[in-house]
Amino acid sequence: MIGNKVVAMLLAGGQGSRLKALTSKIAKPAVPFGGKYRIIDFALSNATNSGISNIGILTQYKPYLLNTHIGIGSAWDYDRNIGGLRILPPFTSEEGGRWYTGTANAVYENIDYLDELEPQYVLILSGDHIYKMDYNELLDYHKKNKADVTIAVMEVPWDEAPRFGIINTDENKKIVEFEEKPPKPKNNMASMGIYMFNWKELKRYLKKDSKDKESEHDFGKNVLPKMLEDNKKMYAWNFDGYWKDVGTVRSYWEANMDLLDDKNTLNLYDKSWRIYTKNKNLPPQYIARGAVVNNSLVNEGCHIMGELNNSILFSEIVVEEGAVVNNSVVLSNCTIKAGAVINNAVILEDTTVEADAKIGEIGDKKIYLISGKKIWEE
Amino acid sequence: MDKCLGIITALERDSNFGSLCKNRPSYMLPFGGRYRLIDFTISNMVNHNIRTIAVYTGEKIRSTMDHLGDGKPWDLNRRINGLFLYPPINDNHIGFRMGDIAQLYSTMEFFHRTREEYVFLSNPNIIAKLNIEEAFRHFISSGADMTLIYKEQSDPEGKLINCDKIHIRENGLFENLGVNLSTEEKFNHYIGMAFVKKNILIKIIKDSIENGNTSHFKDALILYKDKYIINSYEFKGHVETIRDLRSFYKANLNLLSKDISRELFFKGGAIYTKSKDEPSTLYTESSNVQNSLIANGCVIEGDVENSIVFRGVKIGKGAFVKNSVVMQKSIIEDNAIVVNAVLDKQTYIGKGVNIGGSAQAPYVVEKYQKIVKE
Repeated sequence: MIGNKVVAMLLAGGQGSRLKALTSKIAKPAVPFGGKYRIIDFALSNATNSGISNIGILTQYKPYLLNTHIGIGSAWDYDRNIGGLRILPPFTSEEGGRWYTGTANAVYENIDYLDELEPQYVLILSGDHIYKMDYNELLDYHKKNKADVTIAVMEVPWDEAPRFGIINTDENKKIVEFEEKPPKPKNNMASMGIYMFNWKELKRYLKKDSKDKESEHDFGKNVLPKMLEDNKKMYAWNFDGYWKDVGTVRSYWEANMDLLDDKNTLNLYDKSWRIYTKNKNLPPQYIARGAVVNNSLVNEGCHIMGELNNSILFSEIVVEEGAVVNNSVVLSNCTIKAGAVINNAVILEDTTVEADAKIGEIGDKKIYLISGKKIWEE
Repeated sequence: MDKCLGIITALERDSNFGSLCKNRPSYMLPFGGRYRLIDFTISNMVNHNIRTIAVYTGEKIRSTMDHLGDGKPWDLNRRINGLFLYPPINDNHIGFRMGDIAQLYSTMEFFHRTREEYVFLSNPNIIAKLNIEEAFRHFISSGADMTLIYKEQSDPEGKLINCDKIHIRENGLFENLGVNLSTEEKFNHYIGMAFVKKNILIKIIKDSIENGNTSHFKDALILYKDKYIINSYEFKGHVETIRDLRSFYKANLNLLSKDISRELFFKGGAIYTKSKDEPSTLYTESSNVQNSLIANGCVIEGDVENSIVFRGVKIGKGAFVKNSVVMQKSIIEDNAIVVNAVLDKQTYIGKGVNIGGSAQAPYVVEKYQKIVKE
């Protein structure tokens, strides 16, 4: 069992600036996803489902909503007497206050937390990704290889490979080279930003890295290449499930739409690997007489009188009579007034779409991000 | 409201609900897509700042224990105050002889120990979003020992036969408590809610036991009506009285009215319940849903009309569900037809099976029951 041997450190400080207004008030891990979740719920649920009993959440960018959402971690069973969840924001000390300057620095600044827990392994996770993974499989593979670090990798389409950190291995999956966003990749195995470290080894390198003036204190750019240079035993572990890093409004929209594809492999209905989130205590949804709901996900508290096609509705949304929502993602507390027709949109929370408004066309290739004040096209 | 205890006593006869109450008390019946009846009583108390709540559970307590637990969904898992569950102790001779009075007497320690000076009593089988704080102010300012809450009901069709009928004098004082036989167009319905000074309640309980002249709180009201000042307070909102299968079925379907569901679900605060972490509900291309309340975690591929569908239900292609209450995790396979029915939790209706009852007597499928085509 993974239990107390592993402590997970979840990086949740991402700004996600390419998500535009979706992250104007919140960090990327707090962005709503899939009808009722926030992106960070996936990593937190994976951790609790994998039996990890200690998890530190490294926050930095606009943390208020994230802190409210996570609370003491009750939704993920992390409100425990022993262990559980700790939110780890940047702090001040005798040398003054400092922000986390990079992913590795964020963990370095919390060495005390890890030392107190004395783990054998430290699992680095990102709060930006949508996926389901049993971290026990990663740990078993790590142990089997007697590795110092194991990196979860997955195959990406060749044309997208230049956007990722690409990992080249020998035939035994031992890592031989890192290529950070290579224009001409040798391989299409991308790092998922999920690392299993031996804690003693990681601690040594974090300390070393903190003294390096040239370093950006980033795992991918600095710490891992340094370990490779020193011939540490580094392995790649193949993951072949659904995984998405939603970087842009378009990929955010696409990832949501993936849930409506019956071939999608991110099965939210799988009871053996549930995704947990904070409960909003809302009544069921009401579908009125005359409403049409086709291939759509609808959440609690919605009142649907109009027409929905291939759309994802979060909670407490009113779709009035004659309104049509096509291929769109509508976040909580929105009202789509009578006669409005919306295509290919992401509608932000608390937005009212006025009666008879027309946005986009069916088959139109653009994505529209809509708030109460503005519409962005992408 | 920190001066007021909440007391919930299970009084209803569960035998009127057929198989639905074989293993659960009637206040634990699933209601409104994702709730249990008792959620409304507890949530309304909590939303009006009652912080200490005792539930006299009756005997079939397994589902009660599972659902209420330490009271966390209602924020009642407190170090001070919170939720108290009192299963009956029928072993002693008092308990054996004397109904709810004996149950209250068996927890006399609770009444003495708690600091609250007043008690708000409630029957969990009656749903009414009473503004408890406003009613409490009326009770306090009137200086009465006890205030009974009633609703003026018009009942020409006799739908509320056997409900408690309260008689009130012109000055609002309590006169008597009977049973509605629907002989008048209108009657005042005692909705099982009352405020009482704690010391008076203690006295009534002790006197009833010692004098041996009554076993039930309702009878004690009649017996001691001249000894104490008992007045009344009118509730003007919507009331659901769940006392048998038919009223249970009707109360569920009444939620399809926008006014009723708004009031019961939202007025005075949210209804809390044990959460199940279900994803959103998926409506496929082949689905057609009309005038229905659908909870989360369902996959709807068929037709649903005028129905209440609970969490995690699957309705297959070509299936047709009308005027029905389909409880948690039931599966209705392709081309099955379900009309005027109540499907208890985790039932299975096989491919092409037809089941149906009448609007007055819905067809009930027992918990875990499987119905397949021969």
